[in-house]
Amino acid sequence: MQRFLTLTKAMFLVYLRERSTLFWNFAFPVFLLVIYAAVFGGDDLPGFMGWMVPGVLAVNILAFGLISSATMMTEFRQKGVLRRLQASPVPTLTLVGAYIVVNVAVAVLQAALVVAVAMTFYGLQLPAVNLLLALPMVLLSVLMSVALGQVVSGVAPGSGGAVAIGQILYFGQMFIADLIMPIEQMPGWIQSVGPWLPGYAIAQLVRPPLQTGALSPEFGANLLLTLVYGAAAALLAAWLFKWEARS
Amino acid sequence: MTTPILEVDHVFAAYGRGAARIEALKDVSLSVERGEIFGLLGPNGAGKTTLLSCLEGLHQPESGSLRIAGLAPRQGKAKLGVQLQKTALLDDLTVVELIELYTALYAVFPTRAQIDALLTRFDLAEKRTKFIRHLSGGQQQRVALAIAIANNPEIVVLDEPTSALDPHARRAVWDLIRSLHDEGRTVILTTHAMEEAEALCGRVAIIDRGQIIATGTPASIVAGLNINPVLKAAAELPLEQVRALPGAQAARYSGQYLEVETTHPQTTMPALHALAAQLGRNLSEVALRQPNLEDAFLKLTGRALSA
Ligand SMILES: Nc1ncnc2c1ncn2[C@@H]1O[C@H](COP(=O)(O)OP(=O)(O)OP(=O)(O)O)[C@@H](O)[C@H]1O
Ligand SMILES: [Mg+2]
Repeated sequence: MQRFLTLTKAMFLVYLRERSTLFWNFAFPVFLLVIYAAVFGGDDLPGFMGWMVPGVLAVNILAFGLISSATMMTEFRQKGVLRRLQASPVPTLTLVGAYIVVNVAVAVLQAALVVAVAMTFYGLQLPAVNLLLALPMVLLSVLMSVALGQVVSGVAPGSGGAVAIGQILYFGQMFIADLIMPIEQMPGWIQSVGPWLPGYAIAQLVRPPLQTGALSPEFGANLLLTLVYGAAAALLAAWLFKWEARS
Repeated sequence: MTTPILEVDHVFAAYGRGAARIEALKDVSLSVERGEIFGLLGPNGAGKTTLLSCLEGLHQPESGSLRIAGLAPRQGKAKLGVQLQKTALLDDLTVVELIELYTALYAVFPTRAQIDALLTRFDLAEKRTKFIRHLSGGQQQRVALAIAIANNPEIVVLDEPTSALDPHARRAVWDLIRSLHDEGRTVILTTHAMEEAEALCGRVAIIDRGQIIATGTPASIVAGLNINPVLKAAAELPLEQVRALPGAQAARYSGQYLEVETTHPQTTMPALHALAAQLGRNLSEVALRQPNLEDAFLKLTGRALSA
């Protein structure tokens, strides 16, 4: 247990001390919220926030998994950190567990920050029970997104490659998965592709507790989609996983 | 004799498949006794790192077996302290945090005082709260070495422990490695520096192109090859004429020094002086040098150890 905690603490410090992670995970989400509120907020700011916050959360959760988490693993691999960990007697399961705990912790902190900013500055009102209900949705979404990120890390040749692949997947979804642009305003093909994207599923999972307050029939389908994508990505990531960078 | 603490038995190891296949180890066998400082000496690409990787459980050999105190590498990992050739430190941690992390991986939890003692021993005491990214290359190498013994291992595996160091720091590391030996630990290290192997190692294995071509104490390896003594001199003389001197077996330039292998130094030396005088060339710093591991490598492979 002490071993697990020390490992978790070290990985957590590595995340928090990396400047680009700090920017993308904590400054950028708030920035996104502020810009969108200023540009599209209109008169009903709290109402707009109700639609916007789940979208921004979904965007950030995607970015976190596909970029931050993927890049961190790729860098560990490239620098030979994974190799050194492999040479120690620590069980692989302990490493994986610590990595997941740290990733989830950082992503949940980031989600909490976005919600807190929306509630404090933009009049978003949410009862505590909704926040509590949002937590498992966020956790599940983060796990899926981190699993997707590990697939990216498994196929990306280097950390630069991981960032590029992650960004393509993330920026693509940002606009066509009903996250920060309503999908109804999109061309027909996007309206048929969008709902199959992981980002769409994430947004739909966090929407009921944070916006609509009611479970739509779609909710179950999106929950299932998230579980299936997450499990498939985790298996694929495990299969693709390498301790050492290709030379 | 007791059972060896490290046993490598007919190991074959390769990378890649098909046309890209590289056979990195071809039938390597050796054994290391408890408490030895054992050196793997060989040029770039000889297979030193691959052999250590097999021991560390990082590379699966195609055939053959390895034992760490009787255990298979995967089970024996806890007995090893490891410094990999490619230093793998987390830049964003401080020295103390890094030591705590790498000891925890071995389920070892040193006290602050123990960590301080370790850092003092590696001359890192005033760097304890510095980030790894702010340390020099040599300091990082010392951190990597400190990590290799922080878990209090029986066996310390060091891959080129002095490659990034200046001559002074290199000697300091030699002293540290000797102190590990004095504590009763077993050390296996790699190097391509002949003088490092001679200064440090009780026994060495010379490895070349994936094969061990000689094993023993540095002195016994050299003695077993019946290599002639070498006349060394600062001079610029035509090699052909030098080779024709009485007693001379071979002649070459090593750095700016002329080296002449000779069966009869007492006749070759005056003849060399005479040749220099005849050609009107300078001849200084003439000395007779006993053959060393570098000469042994040359004799065994026909190639120079240090390119
Ligand atoms: N990951 C790898 N993939 C493919 N080939 C490799 C890999 N690692 C080593 N090799 C090859 O295996 C051979 C032995 O390499 P190894 O790293 O064991 O040599 P070495 O003696 O440690 O050399 P050096 O002194 O340069 O560190 C070399 O031909 C090298 O190119
Ligand atoms: Mg090597």
